[in-house]
Amino acid sequence: MAIDRKKIIEQMSKVSVIGNEEGLIPGFNVYVQQLPSDFWNGFARRIVNYVPEDLVESAEALLFNAARECGYHTGYGIITSDEWNEIVAPMVEKVPEDVLHGAYAVFTAWGWAKSEVIEIVPKEKMVVRAYDYYESDIMKYGKASRPCAYMIQGVSAAFMDIAYGDSPYPDGMGTFQCEQTKGIEIGDDYGEFLVTRA
Amino acid sequence: MTVEKKIEFEIDHKFDPITNRHYMNGFCTVLHCHHYATLYTQLADDAEEFKGVQLLKEAAEDTFYEVLEDYYQKNGIEAIEDKVTIAEQYWQAVGMGLIRFTGIGKYACTAVMEYSHLDEGWLKKWGSRDKPVNFFTCGFVAAVAALANGKSVRSFKVKEPKGLVCGDEVSAFKAVLT
Repeated sequence: MAIDRKKIIEQMSKVSVIGNEEGLIPGFNVYVQQLPSDFWNGFARRIVNYVPEDLVESAEALLFNAARECGYHTGYGIITSDEWNEIVAPMVEKVPEDVLHGAYAVFTAWGWAKSEVIEIVPKEKMVVRAYDYYESDIMKYGKASRPCAYMIQGVSAAFMDIAYGDSPYPDGMGTFQCEQTKGIEIGDDYGEFLVTRA
Repeated sequence: MTVEKKIEFEIDHKFDPITNRHYMNGFCTVLHCHHYATLYTQLADDAEEFKGVQLLKEAAEDTFYEVLEDYYQKNGIEAIEDKVTIAEQYWQAVGMGLIRFTGIGKYACTAVMEYSHLDEGWLKKWGSRDKPVNFFTCGFVAAVAALANGKSVRSFKVKEPKGLVCGDEVSAFKAVLT
């Protein structure tokens, strides 16, 4: 594998993101914003805690879906961007495996999660580990009773959809699912995410 | 003739190479796209039975109250006009759009947006609709109204009578003392 994670993180973490004269940040085929992680955690916690027990899974599924759509569209925008072509593309030898490794380096550089791909079985399975991620900050309110890194779950499924979806972008979303098997928020040393075909 | 320099929001951005997290003025921040923001908005709107919109507005109010209050304290900002200017520039800097506070009073505050991340994003993703969608900014306006008046969170209730997503020329916000 020719992907140099350290170099990608070092360079991609410097990408300047600030609102233009209209207060908007167009980029990667989407509009971007840069908000405190506490806000996203704050709403996710509130909605999951507020709904009755029998609807918790439905609420979690909607949070997962928000991340999956974000990951699918923004992820595709990233791997077709000028920044990607300049920094990451020259390192890619094996497609799409190296693209996935590179995508998680960018994922790390942008502060979503300090994460990497541990295992890929082409077209079938991917295992991702995250050693630090903002969604685990809910631990400051006490240990969670179940894994709740919905953003990493959704984005991980989306990245596999882009890499090995039954149809190419933009029609391949939903090919894969993701199960979070470990979580810092439930007392594990790291988060682990198993992506398999839906 | 003296020329008064308009106060400017300053960004101190740091990337922690150990945790790989980004910090803006000491607060952990994360980049997300309009798909994420609009789907959170839709989730809140659909969860009518569970006060989804209220929960989203409150999450925004709590977060942005803390961020702005911290900035005001660290930079010695006390004048109402300066507090409002900083808030407007903050919203612009983080990519949420162009907001202008048109009235700051003890009992009510008003603001308008000519450009809005949520509205532009919603229009791009789903097209127009008949109800405003900018619950993030409602929470933000509630925070600014409270801070400008030296009050705590939940002091103001905010409604959005006009929305860019509805075809109006601006999104309009009105905060009223509870």
